[in-house]
Amino acid sequence: MTQGRHLLAVVVAVLAIVAVPGLLPAFYVTLFGYVGLAALVALGLVLLTGISGQTSFGQASFVGLAAYATTLLTKFADMPSVVGLLAGLAVTGLTAWLLGLITARLSGHFLALVSVAWGLSFFSLFGTLPWLHGFNGIGNIPPMGLGGLMAESRRIDLAVIIAAVALLMVMSANLLDSRMGRAIRTLNGARLMGESVGIDTVRLSRTVFVIAALYAGLSGFLFAHFQRFISPTPFSLGASIDYLFMVIIGGAEWLWGAPLGAAIVVVLRDQFNDWVPRLTGQAGNYEALVFAIVVIVLLQRAPEGLLALFARAPRRPPRRPPPSSEAAKIAPPAVAAAPVRVTQPGPELLALDCISRRFGGLLANQDVSFAVHAGEIVALIGPNGAGKTTLFNVISGVLEPSGGRVRLFGETSSHEPTRRIAARGLARTFQHVKLLPSRSVLENVALGAHLSGRAGVLRAMLRLDRSEEASILAEARVQAARVGLDHVLERPAGDLPLGQQRVVEIARALCLRPRLLLLDEPAAGLRLAEKQNLAALLRQLRAENMGVLLVEHDMDFVMQLADRVVVMDFGQKIAEGPPERVQADPAVMEAYLGGVV
Amino acid sequence: MDPFIFFSLLQDGITTGAIYLLLAIGLLIVFSVTRVIFVPQGDLLAFGTLTAAGLQAGRLPGTLWLLDALAALALAHSLFQGRRAALRGLLCWGAYPLVVTLLARGLAPLMLPAASILLTLAIVTPLGPLIWRFAFRPVADASVLALLILAMALHFVLVGLGLVFFGPEEASAPTLSDASVAIGNLSVSGQSLWVLGCCALLVILLRWFFGATIHGKALRAAASDRLGARLCGIDTAETGALAFGLAAFIAALAGVLIGALTPLSYDAGFEIGLKGFVAAIIGGLASFPVAAAGAILVGVLESVGSFWASAYRDVIVFTLLIPVLVWLSLRTGTAEDRA
Amino acid sequence: MKAHLFGAVAALGMITAAASAEAQIKIGAILSISGPAAAMGVGYKGAFDFFPTEIAGQKVEYIIRDDATDANTAFTIAQKMISEDHVDAFIGPSLTASDAAVAPLANQAKVPMIAMAPYEYDPQKQPYTFNDAQPLSLMVSVVFKYMQQHGVKDIGYIGFSDGWGDQVLSATKQSAAADGMKILADERYARTDTSCEAQALKLLSVHPQAVMMGNSATPAALPVVALRHLGYRGGIYGNHGIVTPAFIKVGGAAANGVIADTSPVVVYNQLPPGNVIKPVATAFMEEFTKKFGPQSVNPFAGYSYDAMLLLKNAIPAALQAGQPGTEAFRVALRDALEKTHELIGVSGVYNMSPTNHNGQDERAAVLVEVKDGAWMAIH
Repeated sequence: MTQGRHLLAVVVAVLAIVAVPGLLPAFYVTLFGYVGLAALVALGLVLLTGISGQTSFGQASFVGLAAYATTLLTKFADMPSVVGLLAGLAVTGLTAWLLGLITARLSGHFLALVSVAWGLSFFSLFGTLPWLHGFNGIGNIPPMGLGGLMAESRRIDLAVIIAAVALLMVMSANLLDSRMGRAIRTLNGARLMGESVGIDTVRLSRTVFVIAALYAGLSGFLFAHFQRFISPTPFSLGASIDYLFMVIIGGAEWLWGAPLGAAIVVVLRDQFNDWVPRLTGQAGNYEALVFAIVVIVLLQRAPEGLLALFARAPRRPPRRPPPSSEAAKIAPPAVAAAPVRVTQPGPELLALDCISRRFGGLLANQDVSFAVHAGEIVALIGPNGAGKTTLFNVISGVLEPSGGRVRLFGETSSHEPTRRIAARGLARTFQHVKLLPSRSVLENVALGAHLSGRAGVLRAMLRLDRSEEASILAEARVQAARVGLDHVLERPAGDLPLGQQRVVEIARALCLRPRLLLLDEPAAGLRLAEKQNLAALLRQLRAENMGVLLVEHDMDFVMQLADRVVVMDFGQKIAEGPPERVQADPAVMEAYLGGVV
Repeated sequence: MDPFIFFSLLQDGITTGAIYLLLAIGLLIVFSVTRVIFVPQGDLLAFGTLTAAGLQAGRLPGTLWLLDALAALALAHSLFQGRRAALRGLLCWGAYPLVVTLLARGLAPLMLPAASILLTLAIVTPLGPLIWRFAFRPVADASVLALLILAMALHFVLVGLGLVFFGPEEASAPTLSDASVAIGNLSVSGQSLWVLGCCALLVILLRWFFGATIHGKALRAAASDRLGARLCGIDTAETGALAFGLAAFIAALAGVLIGALTPLSYDAGFEIGLKGFVAAIIGGLASFPVAAAGAILVGVLESVGSFWASAYRDVIVFTLLIPVLVWLSLRTGTAEDRA
Repeated sequence: MKAHLFGAVAALGMITAAASAEAQIKIGAILSISGPAAAMGVGYKGAFDFFPTEIAGQKVEYIIRDDATDANTAFTIAQKMISEDHVDAFIGPSLTASDAAVAPLANQAKVPMIAMAPYEYDPQKQPYTFNDAQPLSLMVSVVFKYMQQHGVKDIGYIGFSDGWGDQVLSATKQSAAADGMKILADERYARTDTSCEAQALKLLSVHPQAVMMGNSATPAALPVVALRHLGYRGGIYGNHGIVTPAFIKVGGAAANGVIADTSPVVVYNQLPPGNVIKPVATAFMEEFTKKFGPQSVNPFAGYSYDAMLLLKNAIPAALQAGQPGTEAFRVALRDALEKTHELIGVSGVYNMSPTNHNGQDERAAVLVEVKDGAWMAIH
């Protein structure tokens, strides 16, 4: 609804600018035009760097590719500018897709450096290829036009630029407010979690990368026809650094950070270029210096961007969670079930066959074999360092076994990637909670339902995914209610106490509609009543024929809940059986207590 | 390509590679201790060259005044921080710059190369900890990206200051040796040997420093786990200052060495620093021997690329790096979660 | 939202910036004061200290801005100067690439522009563009005449990998063809390169009799040092862009013997007694060196000064047609510039016409050689 009002304001502004010649002096038209052009690129960077965590020092190259493409076609081949636009976007998109094949797998510093590398390469190319006219630049570029109507004045160009910025902001907001938007957020530090709910993180990284490049390409096309003169310098590494300045200053994780940062940087620069020479009486020596000092001061005062200073909710979750006096307790599940031990488990869901896993010289798992069946709860216990989480990682595809075989739902899954395993019906939670702390509980839970949707990036941007999104969110609400979280749905997940964050993970896992559930220390940090509710929930799930494999340290919790217990120590299975038998096993007592008491 | 040309290119490449290696070491030290990617190190290199050139021409360089100004600020700040800090401030930021300034005033008119070089090292090295103190320490816990952007902004500050201090002209540092050693038909320049020698010496000294001294071990501790180091009583603000000081020293030394072979202007440092960065990345920002190999590789690639297609040299160097980086990244493993 | 607050503050800033002191005649100067061409830019800028603040009874304001050796920056500065400062004329830009960028703007807005770098254009298509820097073809041909007189039959070429290097090469090819010489190699390097050894090696491998350089200012010393260091003994020739003291300083001993040609103003005190340029050049340079030191002699200040002389000569006629700040004034200024006749500057004598907006002849070129650490005129 505020979106609608914003759109209206933009439309009115655009019409006013176009219709009234004297409303905006030529100088401001130019200035706002540059702000808008920069905002387009910065918007892509927000998606790329701020949201999905891929730092790029090469966005200006994409601007340049599109600018040169449209210039060559419209000026030297007399094509209409629409062709130039399509060509520019095509060249940019294709280049980004090819580069993305390389960069999508790169981590942190490598990615940044490769982007510097291609940024410098393209800049050198722009300056060296003779048919691009090098540093003399190409002038007299024809104006934009559509079907005979030419944008003869800069004002019309500005109107188009503003419209483009508005359009892309709406599309980006739509994207972030969708299933794919949630998935994109996992790329920034929670990729493992993303894979565990079925997201193809590598492919998604590449998609975001291409989107950011296309935004930059659009800016390049508009730039060429706005300034009507291009040369390599606006597409240099310095320009890419400028775009990053804008995004960081504005606030890398907010869409509004892009136009805000762009406005600040462009206007400040312009002002300094005017005032500093007047003040110091010397042109050329001090402007860049003063500008850089201001940037440093801004960064020191607001390291997460100016918008972060003004945003209502704190960006990071508080260091210490609030005292849980008013924190919700986990509600009892919808249907209470009396503790019933299933004596006849259903079909085999998971079979581990002599699994070994080695890390260099360390044998974390050695010849571990057991099975989990439908409608049964198996507990995996053992002292710290026994290899339980490693085993979880092997089962869920995060690690490959060094030896042995994993069979999931009847088929070998030893070498399948995590997301394929998730698609087959295995959901897991993590020992160290992996949530999106600044997003709401509902959004976090909804991540689990990723695979139940089909709407891709384009549908999301065009807002054609509403019905699917509604059903995803409905499912999330159901699962959240099931675990007793329905009254904290809108709170940022990072605000909850750690124990409850684990419950959020469980709700997320349930959204996957799994057949087998892997829970890594689900009860850690829960109080007694909460643990009882959790146990009731797990029994309910068991009654619904789900298989549950859980790692736990709380013996009471485990012993009253599990049908079978598997004990590990030093990477090997040392006991397996019903709880009472395992409790009395001397080897187990030796492992835990150092000897038979 | 005949052997004479090849040898000349190789010599050129290895010499510049040694400089890139020095810079890579500085970058590695700073990054591992403070998580700052110290882009402005290249600019400090240019400062080194131009300061030495200025002193050698009998002038007092602008960097000296920068040192004095920043030191005065640091002194003022430390006076409010308790007696121990005040005493230390008086010594480091009061007495030291005073001595250096007086020495510079006295020795600059004599135009002695040795004095110019040593004074340059004395002037530029303390700029490191001062930069740490005023630019990075206030936001030491920010994200790596924010620190990187801050470093980029700082680069522009230093370049701007360089233009003000030294003007747009290029200048050369005084040479340590004008000699030329002949090996058969081929000639090796004395300055190149100095570069390689200093590089090797520095590497050995650093190994000893990190292996055997308490300060070096403290640096390594802070590099491997900052929180753990603090829990052991290591002051990470100090280790940060020490790391930056080392990087500044290395940059100044590199500037003096390479500046004798090629004249540099106030803005020439960035590209040199960038290539040092490349070498550091090739070493995965962690491994020294691989970074060394990478530095030599970049130097030689550059040299050979210049020869084959001089206009496209930069394109060649940076494009060829992409597959190298990809290969390295794949070896180190796919993108990991940040905790 | 707070974003609106920022917008308001920014707007306020812009409005206050737009209000500036009113002056009668406004002349915009776009010079490369930072970046790779800054060494030249300093020269261009220095002359402005000696410009009159009043011409023909009108106050004159000079707005000097830095294009940071970048055509795009020059373009945006020019836009601003035209639409916001309402300049009556441009002195500069001082960079060829910037000239190419600004000229279409100046012509479209009918603002006379006196370019100060060798820039190729058609005066009939760009009536508002003028140029007081000697055409490259002129300067290069004078050097080649000298080479031909000394029996040079083939040359190697080394120049910048940008527009300047291309332009000098093109003039070189012209002169070489005219004088029957062969060009054996074409090497390039970037202005910002720190070493030219590789390119020098390649040049040597074709054994040219002489080397012609297409570079300028301090980066021009690089190939000279490299060639001499590698043992090259042939003649090294350059264009007028290299005739600066910094070239000799950076080139050191290797620079001795390099031959180029230059504006008369650079060797003002070595011009023969009857030379008409000598009095004008001497008067200017004596003041200039008094302020900036004896080592500050350079041709670039001469171009700025000549541009001012051209305008000063044309302004009285333009004032007849309109007030400064109006299009009528600017059109008349252009017409008056085009009628310049035998105006003696410090870089040459100017005779403009509708087909020649540069107006210089051989009086604008003096052959010089580096001898004993200074540029000496060859007689």
